[in-house]
Order: sequence, then C-alpha cells, then structure tokens
Amino acid sequence: MADVPRLRRDVLLEVKAKIQQGVLPQWVFADPDVYRAEVHQIFAKTWNFLGHESEIPRPGDYVTRWIVHDPVLLLRDEQGEIQAYLNSCTHRGTKLCTADFGQRKTFTCPYHGWTFNLNGDLVGVIAGNKVYGQEMDRSQWSLRKLPRVASYQGMIFGSLNPDAPSLMSFLGDLKWYLDIMLGRSDGGMEVRGVPQRWIIHTNWKVSSDNFGGDPYHTAMTHRSTVELGISPKDPMYASYGHQVVLNHGHGINLITAKAGLNVPPYQGLPREMWPMFERNLTPAQRQVFEKTMIMVGTCFPNLSFVSPMHGTGGPDEPLTSFVNFRVWRPIGPAKIEITSWFMVDKQAPEAFKEASYLSYIGSFGPAGTLEQDDAEIWTRVVEASQGTMAQDKDVHYNNVLNYLMGLGRVEPDPTWPGPGIAYPTCYLDAISRAFYEHWIDALLAEQDTDVLVPNR
Amino acid sequence: MDISYEDVVQFLFREAALLDQREYEAWLALLDEGIRYRMPVRVTRDFGESDDFIDDMTFFDETKRSLQTRVERFRTTSAWSENPPTRTRHIVSNIRVVNRERPDAVQVASYFLILRSIRDSSESAHIFGERVDTIHRVDGQLKLAERTIYLDQTVFPMLNLSIFI
Ligand code: FES
Ligand SMILES: [Fe+2]
Repeated sequence: MADVPRLRRDVLLEVKAKIQQGVLPQWVFADPDVYRAEVHQIFAKTWNFLGHESEIPRPGDYVTRWIVHDPVLLLRDEQGEIQAYLNSCTHRGTKLCTADFGQRKTFTCPYHGWTFNLNGDLVGVIAGNKVYGQEMDRSQWSLRKLPRVASYQGMIFGSLNPDAPSLMSFLGDLKWYLDIMLGRSDGGMEVRGVPQRWIIHTNWKVSSDNFGGDPYHTAMTHRSTVELGISPKDPMYASYGHQVVLNHGHGINLITAKAGLNVPPYQGLPREMWPMFERNLTPAQRQVFEKTMIMVGTCFPNLSFVSPMHGTGGPDEPLTSFVNFRVWRPIGPAKIEITSWFMVDKQAPEAFKEASYLSYIGSFGPAGTLEQDDAEIWTRVVEASQGTMAQDKDVHYNNVLNYLMGLGRVEPDPTWPGPGIAYPTCYLDAISRAFYEHWIDALLAEQDTDVLVPNR
Repeated sequence: MDISYEDVVQFLFREAALLDQREYEAWLALLDEGIRYRMPVRVTRDFGESDDFIDDMTFFDETKRSLQTRVERFRTTSAWSENPPTRTRHIVSNIRVVNRERPDAVQVASYFLILRSIRDSSESAHIFGERVDTIHRVDGQLKLAERTIYLDQTVFPMLNLSIFI
C-alpha cells in the first residue's frame, strides 16, 4: 500500500537525541512522511491562527482561511459571537464560500442549493420536503464547526482537536509578550486592509525557525541594508538583548541596541501613546518594552511575528516600528503559502499608522527589502535538502545541520523580569533547539501511533 | 506639443527594455520626481461586489525616494534575491489612451505579462495584469507621473517581488 507511512519510531528517537546534542538531520526538511506525520500529529492537534477580530467586526462579516488543507469559514454570527466552520457543504462536500472576505446572512451552495445561516444551520433545501420528506432532520446537516475556537488579544485561533488544552494554556508564557505587542494600547490592534498572500518553495519549519530563533542570520542575509547604511555595521547588532525560550515550543527575541547607544524608548512609538502603555502593561512589561527595538519570534508551530524598526529611505530617514503576524501554511513538504497581516494600534495617531504601514511594506511582505532575501535563501535550503545524501537517514555523511550556538556556553539571565528562560544574547540556538524538541515530541506522541511504524 | 500614441508606445517599450536589462538608473530617470507607484493587493470577492482591489494594502506604495533605495539595494553586493540576478521579460501590450486631460499629459492603460527565470529552475514564474499610468511631459521629456499596478493573481505566485512592474 503506497500510503503507509514509513517513519520509524527508532529513527525519530535518534532525531530527538541529535536535537538534544544541538544538531538536526537535514532530511526532516523535505521528507514526505515527516510532512504527513506533521499534518496529523501537529497541525490537527494544535491551535492554528485564523485571523484577527478586527477583520470581522460586524455580524455577518466573514473571512475564508486555511488550516493546512482544511478550508475554514470564519465569521461573526447574529449574536456577535465568532464561529468557525469547515468551508465545505454538508451535502456533497463542495467548497461553500469562495470569496476571501465579505458580509452575508446566508451561504448558498452552488451545487444543489443547500443554504446555511451564520449559525451553520441548514435553512434551505431545494425541493426539500418533496425529495427528502418531512422526516429529514435538518439539524443533522448543519455546517461542521471547528471543534475549538478561541481568541486572545483579538487573535482568533481554531483547533481541529476537541481535546486540545485551552488556548490560554497553549499560549502560556507567550501571552506576557503578546500583551506588549497587541495589548499595550487602549482598544488593541486593527488589521489594515487584508493580509498579503504569496507562495514560497520551502519547508514550513525553515521559516518558522528563522523567525523564532535566528537573529544570527540578519548580519549576512540582510547585509544589503548594512551596505546601504540602514542597519548598523557591527556584525553583532542583532545579538544585543535577550532570547527567551518559552513553553510549548514558542520563543521570542527582544533585541535592543548595544549597551550605551541612545535609542528612542518604546520602539519610537509616538509619545502620546506612552500613557496607554502605563495603563495596559505591568511595570515589568514596560521595563522590557522600553528598551526593545525588535521583537521577533514564533508561536509554535507556524505563526510568526516581527515588530522591528525600519525605514524606506536611506540612512538619514527616521525608522518606524510596525507589528506583523504571519502564518506559514504548509502545502506539502517543500511549499508554503504565507498569509501576512499588518497590524497597528487602533488608538495610534493617523500619521504613525501610515508611516508604520509604509515601513512594513517596504521591508517585509514579498516586495519587502528584507523579506525578498529571506525567501530566496529559504528556497535554497529546501532545494539542497532533497537529494540522496541530504535525505540519508542513517547519517552516513554527517548530514546533520548545526544548531550548536551557545549550547553549554550561555547561561540564563536570572534578572530577566519576564517569564520564560531568558538568555542574555540573541545569537543563540536555544529557541531553535526547543522548537525542534517540541516538534519531535509531537511526532513521537503516543496517541497517534498509526502514522508511525514500530521499531524493528 | 501633444503626446502622440506613438510617443506613449515608445516610452512604455523603452521602459520595459530598461527593466529587463536592469538599467535601473536609466529607468529611474523616466520617473517623475513626484511619482506615486502603487500595487494594491487583489482579492476574490462575492459576486456583485465591484471592487476587488484593496487600496489599503499593497505590495508597492512607493515614492521616487523609496524606489531609489530599492535600486541602490540591488547595486549592493548582498541583495540575495537578485544576486545572481533573475531574468525577466516585461511583455507590454494592449496599450490604450484612456484619458487626455491636458495636451501634455495622458492616462494610459496597458496589459503586462512578466516572465521570470530564476537561477537554474526550469519552472518559469509569471505574473500578469494591467497597469494604469499617467505620463506627462516635463521640460520636453516624457515622465511617468503615476502608476497603479493591477495584478490578476490574488496569491502572489513568486517567492518575492524583487523586480519592478
Ligand atoms: S454539495 Fe452543496 S448542495 Fe449539494
Ligand atoms: Fe530575515
């Protein structure tokens, strides 16, 4: 049977041992069986980011999204509650809604005309009583709800797993840092326009891990901005600050300027916003936020965020901060679709909102001067990971990749005021090692042994 | 002197050639100092909803200064998306003058199909759509004063947009 997965438990245990030693076998970036196991063991089990509450403010507002291969219809019902359904008609499975967003009271399937309301109820069946009779129990044929939907700081997540732990416990200590990005100002954040979407031929772990744990790449990958004088010449410039390893595979880097350098507090956010930070953040959160220039990290498995300061002009132009969240949606072992949301504080001055948006599209997104080069390089990683040598599972060629930075060399900073294990440098592979350890543990989890074959 | 159709066609074809030859400084010289160069995100909407371009979110929302910065970046030694350079063909067609407010300014719509070859990949990525431009004459020279790029794809199908359209 062609479909039987061939991942062996002993091979995965070996991968786990390697990760703990700070190395990662290269084959995990391109192996189709790993991909299949990830879909079942990770994406079907975890919380997946779907959208922001500001995208569907009124009853009837909807957006369509994906959780890997599951199409999702996310909407606000008549009662103002957020609902998420499988975007597939219960009659014969047709994709129900094909628009990216809109406003509706009902959704009618184009195949045979079954109609569903915002509560997912089947409210219209063409020739219903004549063909199905009075005895048809329409309540049996409602739209299928995602088993779990929950929000934090306006961020809506869904889970396909009825037994998932609560969203709050899944986010865990990451919440403290999300508060700084999303909950600092009165009224929270709003999405501007729609998310940008584009396709990259890479593996989702490469991009997730890059945002999560790899400030080290900035000096070289983004060297063009150093050459332009927009980024500092100091090759250590993205290392200052703290790398914080959080529970459940999450991680965040809070990058500061080199000690002694004068930078504007709160990422240069307008002074009139600062009193809101006093109201909405704790003293410890403010202490961290005040010094931070860049926040970048990943919420396991594939929701990443970046809040840097960037400019679209030369070295003399002012830098403006922005907040960007993105999902790396896997669509195969070597392909992802990126959905990337620009968010800004609802209560920010209009001039700042505009400058922040320009800073985002100038540096991130497909045309962003930083992200252009990330995409090129992530593509090359997977391109070079598919051959016989890189895919060899017996590690004949020392075909493991290096995640050794700081292993056994860097101790946590006991004075860090926030949660998590904070190391006093961001040039460190601590988050990456934790990310991959969490990943391999999910693949090894007992409950779904059907995707694994036993030890031989 | 009125801007003739022939002038417009020559201008757009010359511009396309400069972009494909990576003569970006010469390309910048074709742009008016006050240029607005925008590319809104396209979406799929419900039937009957007319506007499927999102003005609030774009791939490009550029001034002459920000375009200059992009060009300067391509001239560094480490703009990896274009190092080695990708190869493009800007196919520009269906050129039509849609508005002629003043004798020295025309609004022109044109179709584009951009084929892009990246390194040794045998897959050629392509994007297509329509551009609406304002071209005017400044000191005897035609300049691009405004460009809005209307892409037909809602999910941008290339790994990056390190080219100009
Ligand atoms: S598949 Fe939807 S009505 Fe038949
Ligand atoms: Fe990067």
